[in-house]
Amino acid sequence: MELQSFVAIPNVAYLGAAILFILSLGGLSNQETARRGNTYGLVGMIIAIAATILLLLVPDAYGTVREIGRNNWAVLIATALLGGAIGSVMAKRVAMTAMPQLVALLHSFVGLAAVLVGISTWLTADLGGHGSDVVHLLEIWLGVAIGAITFTGSVVAWAKLRGWLFGRRVPGAPLLLPGRHVLNAVLALACIGMAVPYLADTTAQAAPAIELSGQLEAAEDAFERLETEETRAEVARLSSELQAINHPTTDSRAFLLLLILTCLTCLLGVHLVLAIGGADMPVVVSLLNSYSGWAAAAAGFMLANDLLLVTGALVGSSGAILSYIMCKAMNRSIWNVVFGGFGTDGGSPSAGGATIEGEVTITDVEEVAELARHAKSVMIVPGYGMAVARAQHLVNEFSSMLRSKGCNVRYAIHPVAGRLPGHMNVLLAEAGVPYDIVLEMDEINDDCPDTDLVLIIGANDVVNPGAETDESSPIFGMPVIQVWKAETTVVLKRSLGAGYAGVGNPLFYEENNKMLLGDAKDSMAQLMALLN
Amino acid sequence: MAIRIAIPKEVSPGERRVAATPDTVKKLIKMGFDVSVETSAGTLANYPDEVFKAAGASIAPDTDSLWESADVLCKINPPQLRSDGSHEADSLRDGSTLISLIFPGQNAELVERLQQGSKTAIALDKIPRITRAQKMDVLSSMANIAGYRAVLEAAHLYGGFFSGQITAAGKTRPAQVLVIGAGVAGLAAIGTARSLGAEVRAFDVRPATKEQVESMGARFLMLDVPMDESGESSGGYANIMSDEFLQAELACFAEQARDVDIIITTALIPGRPAPELILQEMVESMKPGSVIVDLAAEQGGNCTATVPGEVVTSSGVHIVGYTDLTSRLPTHASQFFGTNIVNLLSDMGGAEDFTVNFEDEVLLKSTIVRDGELTWPPPPDPEKPATATPAKPVVAEAPAPRKKSGTGHGASSEPLAVGPRNMIALTLAIVLALIGFTAESAPVPHFVQQVTVFLLACFIGWQVVWSVTPALHTPLMSVTNAISGIIVVGGLLGVAGSELNTAAVLGAVAILIASINIAGGFLVTQRMLQMFRKEGN
Repeated sequence: MELQSFVAIPNVAYLGAAILFILSLGGLSNQETARRGNTYGLVGMIIAIAATILLLLVPDAYGTVREIGRNNWAVLIATALLGGAIGSVMAKRVAMTAMPQLVALLHSFVGLAAVLVGISTWLTADLGGHGSDVVHLLEIWLGVAIGAITFTGSVVAWAKLRGWLFGRRVPGAPLLLPGRHVLNAVLALACIGMAVPYLADTTAQAAPAIELSGQLEAAEDAFERLETEETRAEVARLSSELQAINHPTTDSRAFLLLLILTCLTCLLGVHLVLAIGGADMPVVVSLLNSYSGWAAAAAGFMLANDLLLVTGALVGSSGAILSYIMCKAMNRSIWNVVFGGFGTDGGSPSAGGATIEGEVTITDVEEVAELARHAKSVMIVPGYGMAVARAQHLVNEFSSMLRSKGCNVRYAIHPVAGRLPGHMNVLLAEAGVPYDIVLEMDEINDDCPDTDLVLIIGANDVVNPGAETDESSPIFGMPVIQVWKAETTVVLKRSLGAGYAGVGNPLFYEENNKMLLGDAKDSMAQLMALLN
Repeated sequence: MAIRIAIPKEVSPGERRVAATPDTVKKLIKMGFDVSVETSAGTLANYPDEVFKAAGASIAPDTDSLWESADVLCKINPPQLRSDGSHEADSLRDGSTLISLIFPGQNAELVERLQQGSKTAIALDKIPRITRAQKMDVLSSMANIAGYRAVLEAAHLYGGFFSGQITAAGKTRPAQVLVIGAGVAGLAAIGTARSLGAEVRAFDVRPATKEQVESMGARFLMLDVPMDESGESSGGYANIMSDEFLQAELACFAEQARDVDIIITTALIPGRPAPELILQEMVESMKPGSVIVDLAAEQGGNCTATVPGEVVTSSGVHIVGYTDLTSRLPTHASQFFGTNIVNLLSDMGGAEDFTVNFEDEVLLKSTIVRDGELTWPPPPDPEKPATATPAKPVVAEAPAPRKKSGTGHGASSEPLAVGPRNMIALTLAIVLALIGFTAESAPVPHFVQQVTVFLLACFIGWQVVWSVTPALHTPLMSVTNAISGIIVVGGLLGVAGSELNTAAVLGAVAILIASINIAGGFLVTQRMLQMFRKEGN
C-alpha cells in the first residue's frame, strides 16, 4: 500500500471525532444518557489526538514528511502529561460551589491557547506557498483577537467570581469608565486598522520566498527533464535558500503588530467584563463560553482543520444558546451584555418599582414545622443564598423526610438560581436530591396553585410577583416562579433587604406569606430538630 | 365602566347548581370584573344572596334586569325556554358574550337563535382537551363529580356493606364493583368505591388506561382478543371498535355480571348514542339487590333497561338512570364549575384585555358564534386527521386528564427540541459536507468549504444544544470546556517542527493548557453527572 493512502485516515478519524462530539452534547438531553454522552466526548477526543499524531507522521498531500526533533517530541509529551495531571487534580478538588470559577478559568485557557496557536501558526506560515494568502493571514489576526478577548475576559470573570486575586479583593460592582463605549470603539478600530500594515509587512516578507519557490519549481522541472548533476545541485541550493526565508521572523514589524494586537484585545477583554456586575455572571460566563468556541473555530480556520472548526462551532452555538436563555431569564438584552455596563450588583436601589403597602408577617420555626407537618404538597425554591449558607444538605434531609411521610415535595428551579446555568441543579444533586423531583420553572409553575407550602430559601427576585404585575418595576417582564398562588409561602431570609436587582418584593407583604428570618442553615437545622 | 359578568338562576328543572360561588366572585372582582348575581341563584347550592353580596357581587332583583345589564353572561346549562314561554337566548343583549354549555351538535335550533343580532357564544363543552385548557374543562370537573356521586347512589340503594366486615355477628366479603370506562368519571368512581372498601375491577377499550386504573387500586380486565386497536381517537376520547372486539367485550361483561354487586357504566362516544353494553339477559343474571348506575343515561344509556332520569327495578336489580348526578352535589359542583369559568376568563385576558382571540386554540375551538357570525365547527386540525373506522360502537367515556407535567423528568424541554430523525439528517449533512471537503479535487475554494462546514456545524450545535435539559446546563458548559480542548491539535502542529524555536514553545504552552481543559473538563463533568441520581437509586 502506498504510504500516501494513510493521508485519508486522519480525516476519517476527524469525522468520527466530530460525530462523537455531537453525540456527546446530544447525550446531555437527559440525565440517563448524560454519562454515556461524556464518554462519547472522551473517546472522540482520544481519536482526534491519535489522528493528529498520525497526521504528523505520514506525508502530507504533497508527499513531504515532517521532520520532528527529538526534543520537540519530549516537550510535546511532557506538556501534555503535565497539563493532564493539573487538570485532573483541579477536577477532583473543585468544590461544586466553585464550578463557575473553574468554568471561567477553563474558558480563559481556550482563549489563551487560541492566541498562542495563532501566533505560532503565523511563525510557521509557509510563505512561499499558501501561508501568505491574505485570507489565511486575516484568519490568524481574527483568531488571536477573539482568543485574547476570551482569555482576559474570562480571567476577570474568574477573579470576580472568586472575589479575590493576588490576595486582593476584587469587587463585584461594575467598573464604568467615562466614555467606555468610545474606548471600546477606539480599541476595536485600532485592531482593524493595524491589520493593514500587518498584511503589508507579511506579504513583503513573503515576496522573496514566493519568487524563490517559483525558481525552485522551475529548477525541479529542469531536473526532472535533464536529471543532470548540475540541475540537482541547483534544486538543492534553491531549496535550502527557501528554507531559510520561508517563515516570517520574530524581528519583523508584522510580529510586533501581532503582539500589539494581542495586548489591545487583552485590554478590551478586561474592560468589557469589568463593566459587568458580579450579579450577572451567569450571562457573562455563558457568553465567554460562546467566545471560547468562536476562538477555537477561528483556530480551525487558520489551521484548515475541520475538526477544530466543527468543535468550535458546536461550543460557540452552545454558549450562544445559554447566553440567550440566561438573558431571557434575567430579562436583559444580549447587546447590553456584549457591550457591558449592566448589572448593578445590589448597588444603588433602582428608582423604579411601586411602593408596597401592607405588613410583613414574621413567623418562627415552630409554626413552619407545623405547616410542614400538615402539608400534602411542598415546593422548595432554592436560590444561591442557600448555597452560600451551605444549607443544601439540610434541605435535602428535610425534603426526603417529608417525602418518606408521603408528602409530595418538589424543587422549583429558576434559570438564574445559582451563578451558572444549571448550577443549582448540580448543587442539589451534590446534596443528594434526586433529579426527578427537581423541576424547571416552566414545568412547575402550573402546579403552584395546588401547593400547600412553598419554602423559599435564599431566593428573592425569582419569586417577585412585581415582575408580572408592576410595570414600573425594573424586573418587569422577567419570568418568575408564581409562588404567591400557593396556599402558604415561607421565605427564609437573613433580613428584609432587597434582592440583587435592588427591587422590593411585594411577595413579603402578601397575606399568605410568612418570613422566617435568620441564617438558612440554622433555621433548617432547628426545623429538622422539631420535625424529628 | 368595568365589564359586567352576570350569573342567572338556572331554569332547567331540577338544576341546583349555579355558575359562580362567593369564592369565584372574589376572583372575578380581583381580575377587574363587575359581578351581578340574580336573586336566589345560588340558594339551592347553599349559597344565599348574602354571601354573594359579602363577596362583592351586586344582586339583581329579577331575571330581566340581570340579562339586560350583562356584558358577559355565565351560566351552566344551554339557554332554553323558560316556564313563561320566553327563550333565554333571546334575552341575551346584543354585543354581549355568553359562556355556558351549548352542545352545538345536538342543539341546532339554539345555535340558530344565538346568531340573531351580534352576540358571541362560547361553548364550555367545546373547550379542547389540551393540557393548558384542563383548568377550564367543565366536562372533566363535572365528570369527576358524577363518578363520585354515582358510587354514593349505588351505596344508597345497595343492601349491603361496601367494605368487608368481620364482626362477632358474622363476616361479609367486600362489595364487588365493576366500572366500565376509565375516563375521569370512571376513575373517580373507582377511587370512591375503593375508599369505601369495595373491590373494584374496571374495563376500558383504551389499553393505555390500564396503568391509571391500576394506580387507583382497581384490577384492569383484559380481553382475549388482541388489544392492538388503540381505541383512542383524537382528543383522548374512545373510538368505535370492530365486531370481533365487541363480541369479546360483551362476553366479558356477561361473565362479570354474574359475579359483581355494583356496575357503574360511563361509556360514551362523542356525538353518538351511548353504546349498549349491559343487555337485558345480563341484568337478569345479576344477583337480586344488585345496583347498576348508568352515567350514560342522558345519551340513551349503556344498559338496555335504563330509564333516563329515574330509578327502575328490573328482576330485582336497581338501575339508576339519573341525569343530574352533578346537580346532586350542588355546592362543590358550583365551585368547580365557577372556577373553570374564572380560568377561562383569565385566559381571555381578564377584565382589562377581554377579547375573543382566535389565535388562542381554546377560543378558536370553543367559540360557536362571534358577533353574530357562526364560527363553528372550527377549522380542522391539520396534524391529526380523524380515522373513523366504520364499525359498531363500543365503550368508553371522557378521557382522563392528561398527566400533569408534575413529578419527574418526563417533561422534556419543548422549545425547538429536535427529534432523532432530524438529528440523523443533520449528522448526515455534515458527514457528506466533510467528505466532500476533504476530497483533494473539490472544485470550490478552500475557504468557502470551510465556511460551509462552519455554518453547518453551527446549525447542528444550535439544534443539539436546545435539546439539552436545563438541569444539565452546568455539565454542558464543562463538557464544552473539555471539547474546546481540541485546540490541542493546534498546539501539536506548532510543536511538531524540527527544532525548539519560538513557534514550538508557544505550541508547547498551548498543549499544556489545552490538556488541562481536556482532563479537567471531562473529569469534572463525570464527577457532576455521577451526582445526579433518581429517587430510590
